[in-house]
Formats: sequence, C-alpha cells, structure tokens
Amino acid sequence: MHDPERSLQEGSVSEEILQKWEARGVSRRDFLKFCSVMTASLALPASFMGQIAEAIEADNRPPVIWMEFQGCTGDSEAFLRANQPTAAELILDYLSVDYHETIMAAAGHQAEAAKHKTVEEYKGKYIAIVEGSIPMGAGGAYCTIAGDSALNIARKVCGNAAATIAVGSCSSYGGIPAAAPNPTGAVSVSEAVPGATVINLPGCPLNAENLTAAIVHFLTFKKLPATDQFGRPKFAYGKRIHDNCERRGHFDAGQYAEGFGDAGHRQGWCLYKLGCKGPETFHNCPTVRYNEGTSWPIQAGHGCIGCSEPQFWDTMTPFYRRLPQVPGFGIEATADKLGLGLAAATAVAFGAHGVASALRKGDETDTKVKKED
Amino acid sequence: MAKKIAVDPITRIEGHLRIEAQIEGGKIVDAWSSSTAFRGIETILKGRDPRDAHHFVQRFCGVCTTVHSMASIRAVEDALKIQIPDNARLIRNIIMGIQNVQDHVIHFYHLHALDWVDIVSALSADPKKTAQIAQSISDYPKSSATYFKGIQDRVKAFVGTGRLGPFANAYWGHKAYKLPPEANLMAVAHYLEALEWQKDVIKIHAILGSKNPHPQTFLVGGMSMPVDPDSQNAINADKLALITKLLKKARAFVEQVYIPDLLAVAPAYLDWAGIGGGVGNYLCYGDFPMDNSPGTGSLYFPRGVIMGKDLANVMEMDETKITEDVTRSWYQYNDGAADKHPYDGETNPNYTGPQPPYDFLDTDGKYSWVKSPRYMGEPMEVGPLARVLVAYASGNADAKATVDFVLGKLGAPASALFSTLGRTAARGVDCLMLAQKCELWVQQLADNMGRGILEVHNGEKWDPSTWPKEAQGFGYHEAPRGALGHWIRIEDGAIKNYQAVVPSTWNAGPRDAAGKMGPYESALIGTPVADETQPLEILRTIHSFDPCLACAVHVLDGRGNEIIKVRAL
Amino acid sequence: MKALELRYVWEWPVRLTHWFNVIAIIVLSVTGYYIGDPFVSVPSTNSYVMGWMRFLHFVFAYVFAISWVVRIVWMFFGNQYARFPAFAPWATREGWKHIVGTFNYYTFLKKKVPYVVGHNALAAMAYSGVFVLFLIQIVSGFALYGQFQPGSFWDSAFGWLLPMFGNQGLRLTHHIIMWLLIGFAIHHVYSGWLMDTKEKNGVMGSIFGGYKFIDPDEE
Repeated sequence: MHDPERSLQEGSVSEEILQKWEARGVSRRDFLKFCSVMTASLALPASFMGQIAEAIEADNRPPVIWMEFQGCTGDSEAFLRANQPTAAELILDYLSVDYHETIMAAAGHQAEAAKHKTVEEYKGKYIAIVEGSIPMGAGGAYCTIAGDSALNIARKVCGNAAATIAVGSCSSYGGIPAAAPNPTGAVSVSEAVPGATVINLPGCPLNAENLTAAIVHFLTFKKLPATDQFGRPKFAYGKRIHDNCERRGHFDAGQYAEGFGDAGHRQGWCLYKLGCKGPETFHNCPTVRYNEGTSWPIQAGHGCIGCSEPQFWDTMTPFYRRLPQVPGFGIEATADKLGLGLAAATAVAFGAHGVASALRKGDETDTKVKKED
Repeated sequence: MAKKIAVDPITRIEGHLRIEAQIEGGKIVDAWSSSTAFRGIETILKGRDPRDAHHFVQRFCGVCTTVHSMASIRAVEDALKIQIPDNARLIRNIIMGIQNVQDHVIHFYHLHALDWVDIVSALSADPKKTAQIAQSISDYPKSSATYFKGIQDRVKAFVGTGRLGPFANAYWGHKAYKLPPEANLMAVAHYLEALEWQKDVIKIHAILGSKNPHPQTFLVGGMSMPVDPDSQNAINADKLALITKLLKKARAFVEQVYIPDLLAVAPAYLDWAGIGGGVGNYLCYGDFPMDNSPGTGSLYFPRGVIMGKDLANVMEMDETKITEDVTRSWYQYNDGAADKHPYDGETNPNYTGPQPPYDFLDTDGKYSWVKSPRYMGEPMEVGPLARVLVAYASGNADAKATVDFVLGKLGAPASALFSTLGRTAARGVDCLMLAQKCELWVQQLADNMGRGILEVHNGEKWDPSTWPKEAQGFGYHEAPRGALGHWIRIEDGAIKNYQAVVPSTWNAGPRDAAGKMGPYESALIGTPVADETQPLEILRTIHSFDPCLACAVHVLDGRGNEIIKVRAL
Repeated sequence: MKALELRYVWEWPVRLTHWFNVIAIIVLSVTGYYIGDPFVSVPSTNSYVMGWMRFLHFVFAYVFAISWVVRIVWMFFGNQYARFPAFAPWATREGWKHIVGTFNYYTFLKKKVPYVVGHNALAAMAYSGVFVLFLIQIVSGFALYGQFQPGSFWDSAFGWLLPMFGNQGLRLTHHIIMWLLIGFAIHHVYSGWLMDTKEKNGVMGSIFGGYKFIDPDEE
C-alpha cells in the first residue's frame, strides 16, 4: 500500500534534519506533517518539501534593525501597508525584524539588548533600515534614544551592517528637518555615516512596494540594486513621473486644469499650471501607485510635489507654482512678473535715452558729417 | 527605599519618548515624561507660502497622518475667512473619520495589546476552546477552531525558530498578564487579522486622496479630488461604491472583532479602572461638522471643557485661554516669560540636559523637548476619552448610547472611565461611533453629486493678491489622539508665525512653572510596578494615551534668527 | 582729409550666425514662454499645442547651439572685428579709454563718441556677457532636456548640473536668462539705431551687407 508520508520522507527530507528535530523532541511524523501542511499552504508542489524543511532548519531570514531618528513614522506606516509580501509575511516569514520601536513588544533596556545582540551576533550580515534624518547640532541632543545620540547609534548599527536601506526622504537626503534653515543640522544617513553601504529609497513617505522590491532584490541576488547619481535604485527612480504620467496626453495637447474643481480638472486634464512637479521628479508613482495600486497624487487631482528629489522642501516650493521663488523678492513675485518688468523697464529707459539723444545738439559725430562736404 | 528607573525607548508608540520614574513600595511615587527628539518644523515654515504649510505640517507625524493638514488648512481658512464647499466638508469628514477608525484599531492591536496579551501563552491554548470563546462573543465568520489552529501553528513555527524578531525580549510570563491562553490566542489571531485589515480600509484615503500615509489632497479652500458622476477621473458612482464597500468592511471589523475583544479582555483587568486617572481635566475642540454652517454648532463631537472630572458642568472652550509653558522644556522665550499664547509662541531651543550618552536626565531642571500647554493655567488631558466624555456629558445621544452599552457590559460606573482602562475603552467607543457615521457622509456626498453639486474647492481667495496684508487664524481638529490646534499669522502673503499645540503635547508635557505635572506624569503616580526591571505597568498607562511624540515636539516660531543665536551658544 | 571708405567689417559667418540667433531667440522665447506658462488651453484632445511648442523649442535649441558654436569657432578664424580681442576691450589700455569714453557719451557726460570700426567698447563687453548667457542657456536647456532619458547623450553631458543647482534651480535660471536676453535685445536694437543716427556709419545696414563707412582720418 502506498504511504505518502514514507515516500516523502525517503524522497525529500534529509535524514540529518529529521534526526536534529528528533533530538529536540519533535517526532519525525510530526515534523513531516508540519512540512507538508506548509507546502500545501504555500501552494507548492510536494517536491518542495525538502526545501521548506531546509529553510525551516536553516532559518536564514536576514536580521533587520529598523531605526527611526528624526522621522514621523510615516515610512513605518508605509511598510505596514506593504502588499507583496504583506507586512505580516515580511515580519514573520521573510525577515527577522529584531528591532523596530514602533512594532516591537520589548521596551527600554530589553529593547536595546535585542539590538545589541543582533549587532554582535550578525556583524556584517544584518540589514539596517533607517527612517528619519540624523541631527548633528547640539552635540546630538536633538535626537537621543536610550540616552545615546542618533549619530552614535547610526555609526554603530549602519557601520556594522551588510547594507543600509535609507527609507524615506529624511534618511535619504535630510528631508524636512534639513529644510532651510535646518535648525537642528539634520543630515542623511550617507552623510552621517560616510563609510556605510547605503541605498536610498526616498519619497515622503516611501512607497512600500519599493521597499519590498529592494529587500527581495537583496535576498534573491545577494547584492544591492544599481543606483542613479542620487543613490536611488534605477528600478524605481529611473524614469521621470512626467514621462509616465497618465495625463501626459493632455499636457502635449495643451489641455490644462486652471483651477481645482473646474471642468478640465474634473476631466483629468494636466495639472501643470497648478504647480505639478512631475516634470522635475524621478519616481515610479505613475506605474506602481500606492496602497496596492489604488491611486497616486496626480490621479487624485493634486500635482506632484517632487517628494523623491533631494531637498524638495526647498527646491520644489511653492508647491502650487511652476517655478521657485526668486531669491530676494517677495512671495508673490514670480520670475515671469519680474522678467516682464525688466523688459518693460529696459524699453522705457532706452526710449527715454533715445528721446534725450535725439534732442541734444552738437554731438561731435554730427560735425564730422559736415567735414565730408 | 525609592528607586529611579528610566524606560527609554518607550516602544510601540510614534516617536521618541522616555519615562523616568521613582518607585517606592511597589508603586510609582514620581514620574517625568521626556521627549528626546526635536526637528524644528515650525521654524522651517516661517516665510513660506501659507498654502504650502499643510504639506509641511502633515510631516509632523506619519501615524496620525492627515490630521495636521486638516488643522493647518482650517487655520489658513479661518485667517482668510474662506468658506469651503459642502463636498469638501464631506470628503474631509470621511477622510478624518476613517483615519480615526483605522488608527484606533492599529493602536489597540499593534501598539497596546501586547501590554495585556501574552503571545507565548497563546501557544498552549486549545484552539477549540478559543473558537468557543470567540463564537460566544461575536458572530465574526472566521472564528473556527481550524482557523485558530492555523494561527497557532504559524506562531509555533515562528517561535520554533528561536528568533522572535520584534517579539523578542518582551515581558512574556510577567505575572501582570492575566488572560487565559485561549483569550491570548484569540488576540494574537486578531493582531494578524488587523494587520491585513488596516491596509485595506485605509485605501479610502488613497481613493479620496492619492495615498496613505500622507495623502496629497488637502487644499486651502477645499479638496483636490474632483467629484463628477460623468468623469472617470473624479469621484464617481464606481468609486463611491468602493468607498462604501471598504467602510462596511471597516465597520464590520470594529463591531465584530475590536469591540468584542475589548469587552472580552477588559473584565480580566478591571483593577485598571482604578489606576492611571491623571489630571482629571478634559479638553475637546470638537469635530466632524454635520452641516456647512459657519461656527462650531453642528459638530458631531461637541466642543467643550471638563474640569476636575465634573461631568455635570461642560464649559465652553475658549482658545484664547491656552498658553504654552517652557519652564521645564528645552526652550526659552525671548522675554524670559514662562508661558505664551500660541499666536505669540516662540521656539528657541535651549538644550540644558546631559550630553549623550547619559543614564538619567536632570529632572530637577528642564527635561523635555515637549512644551507644557495649559488651559486657564491647568494641565488638560485630550484624546478619545476627553472627546467621549464631553460628548457624553453634553448629552450627545450616540455617545450616551455607546458609552452606556460599554459600561453596562463591563458592569462599571461612569467614574471608571477616569482611568487607564477607561481611556482604552473610550477609544473603542470613539472608534465605533465614527465607524457607524462615515457611511452617512458618503451618502450625503452622493446626494450632492446627484443634484449636480460638484464644487470641491473655493478658489476665490486662492491668489495671495486677494489676501489682507495681515491675518491670523486658529485651526482645530479632533485627531485620533485628541485636540489639535494650529495657529497661524500671515503677513504679506507669507507665514509670519506658526504654532501647533498637538494632542501629545497636552498629554506628554512636563511640569510647568507652578510644578503641576502633565497628564502622563500625573497618571503614572500610584501605578503599581511589580518588577522594576520589567515595568510593564508603565507601558500600560502610557500606551493608554496612544503617545505620538513626533507630533508633540513642534517647534515653532517666530524669529528664525534666534535659533541660530541659541545654537551658537 | 580723405573721403569715407566702405569697409567689409562683418564677414558672412558673423552675419549668418547673427541672423540665426535672432530667429532662434525669437522662436525659443515664444515657445519657451509657452512651455513655462501655457497661456492657451485648447478644448480639443486632437490638438498637439504643447507638443509642437516643445518640438519647435528643441529644434531651435539645436539651431541656436550650433550657431553659437560656429560663432565661437569664427573667433579663431575671422577678421580682427570678429576675433576674441574685439570682445575684451578691458585687456588693453586703449580699450579702457574707449570704455570710459563710450560710457561718458551714453550718460550724456561727453558729446564725443570714441571712434571704432567694429563694436564700440561697451557693446563689446555686453556681447561678451551675452555670449556667456547664451552658453548658460544652451547648457541648462540641454541638461533639462536630457532628463527625458537618463543616460542619454545630453544627460551624460550636462546631467551633472542637476545635483549642483537642482532641477528647479536650472529651470528658474533658464527662465530668468530668457528675460535678460529680451532686455538685451531691446537695448541692442536701440543702440544700433542710436549709433546709426549719430555716427552715420551705416551700422544698421552693416549687419545685412557687412559693410560700414569708415573715416580713415579717425582710424
């Protein structure tokens, strides 16, 4: 008579693993049953049982230390909205999230102990994830955790990591704390820990899909993805929003929403004149979108604010105008108003000069003409 | 012999919070609440376009995302006297409503539950008995023995790896955990369930506002999401149906899982109805306007103030009576004053604490980056409890029915609300009320659209050239964590001064010039601590407030160059 | 006293690049202004207004850039009025005298115009500045253009400017220089007219034909 358990046992799960589990008080029968349940629940063919058994045995989930400094927890919240895989799967099955203040059960020195243990035991092997910028001012007192400064913690944890993923624009480029006048001397992770291997996933907050993609990329290929000049992975920041925008046709046609809620706006016309920064911004929002592909800012009728670009709080503002403020002029002065004024002033000035020149007598060039006679 | 302990970081909150406590005879006799991070966003706002401010202030916090945008646009609208279209009111109500609902559920399961639920104990539960308990308290369809067995197996496999990740090093087995294994298993199952649920229901933010966290849809004067039944680029019948479906899902979970769990867990911890009372003063700005009339008369949650736990006397709220004290905060006012009204607020950082790394703060001097807001000089608690109490005491029918239902189930008097457990229960009441209300606003929005009312934004005062030379405004909001106020001064089309007094500033603030403790500190007094190396009880009371520290440390002010001066010292 | 002679001052490459510049600047300013602020919205989806504006802008960007390069090359091969030294009066003592003299004339302090065959000293300095503005305009324009395809030729050539000045910073610069050049054009036409009437040397005509009237006594 055919005995499926027996055939599986003989066919796929190594004797060595079974013996190890027996030594821990788990019978062969129970262990094999568990593996077959797991195989079925993952919708895998039975031949994968061996691999699953090994995965469970090896438990090669990479340890992760998620640190938040001068952040708003928005990137952690974005992580909780992850879909493929979900946050629950990431936390339980794919990663070993050994430290993450927002979700971890332990607190105080027990929490810190968990972090130190991972740094020691998995030196050079764990993934550090950083959310929020790092303040350099006031000797580090602008952000301390367990009595130590963000800078010290980042140096230690990022410095010993296999790789550091900077999530969100604050840890990638300093973000909002670094906006002028940068009251706390906030800097990015790569500025604070120059030697670390850092990949930037900017966005405010970052798109969870890009984080899971970066992690899966790392787990699959054992290296970080290729990046652009700002340290952003090309798979997510390689193209301009404007060039992938669903409203691009309206832009080229010359159809623009002139005000929020007007007929053009309701019909999905281009938001260019309402200050959209899509033409300035590299991000995969139009294709990946947010919250499992539900929507993204331009789909919701609001222009892009350029949140994945370095220093966007200073360079992309005012958000509802096309061009930045001209330094030294009031908030209402746009470059065009100034330019038009300049051109008009030039015309008036030279007009006046022309009248004066025409009226004046005795210019010496005039006498020269006479000489000619 | 008194012993001082420090819990830093307080985890499962937003932001950076440190609690130092003096423990004597197994009870807390003194406590200090300190926020240990500062960003200075209000300083950054100075001189910028007031229409941009909501994008900046939304980044106060990514957990209570949307709330600062709301308060900010209302402040600017108040300053410039802008009346928003009715559709904008409804869209705002739906966004705020689902934000409160989703945030409260996340708080209950993912931030607060592990203070009451022992995950390790769940491993020894009998899934069949768990199913019986679950079926006895709710008709939630997933409560089968097979389902709980599956969850238990998954957790067992996880624990079997010996690598507990975020669940490592916690206070498992602490004797203050009192639930039977079966109840613990049920809670663990719903912890995972809620993790899936929250990311689904919050898609309402994405539909109405592009994404969550940090939706991009708010505008001074209205909202950017167009409504038009005849456009595929606007809120149309299809999207209304999707929103309604998600709202039903949200409501079903709250009614069938969250509230039954709350009512099932609470009886094991009824002693916490006598712990963690705190200051006993409650402040609520009120929110969710039910019609588009000016003023605050139509707010679903009414505005009001309760002093000294006196539910018989709900006083009118007057924002001019609010001040912020910096005596014990790492700031300094230019004229040396102890407190100022937010319109005149300043934020000049003045760090006097120990240089990191340190073991203890100097709690006799300044010790926090949070200021101490006061109402008529008194510390006030804000949050779902304040909101529910003001509504309840003002005679709001929904609040009365829901509170009485919860109190009846627990067999507790109304006075039990003034406690750690009461705070947690009130959050459930707040969540349930809003989960049941949102569908009405969707219906009203549909009605408007059906009648051809499509306006979402009032652009009359969009152009800064239409603004007065000087203006000032107060923007309010009842965020998940409570009363949120933004004060703005506009001059020559730019932000002159910006100040936010947020819920966690009210709750987490340190002592003031008169030595009066803030709500966290006050609530901790008398809290028992069985094992000072595992101060689980501190977490219970602090988490009952749902701290949000990135919000609380707001810095604002006025004269930007002062910052440089102070830093140079 | 000799009679005035006609001299071939502006060689054909000088005149040709001048007129290419004129056409390019007009087209680039109009299309560029539209790109920055699309003042016409069209009701029909069949139109392609912005598309054409951008297309023209890019085509004339190439015209303008090539014209600029040709003119710079001609600074090595052209006659004395076209070469580098003609644009740097500040490099010689004689040049300084002309600068002061012309300045005094323009500001009504003196009535004598210093005599020069080519550009007067102030004009020469203005043209040096304008050549620099042209270059900034070309470089910033192509840096912005290159963004449509990271790694493309223009992105590789000038993309490094983006992190230095920021995307929006370059856009603002590109925009402001447009206005400066419009201001320059007004001044340029006016000065030409003024000198034409005062010097009576046919300067306005010279940019068409290349010949100017020269007074050998003054030279």
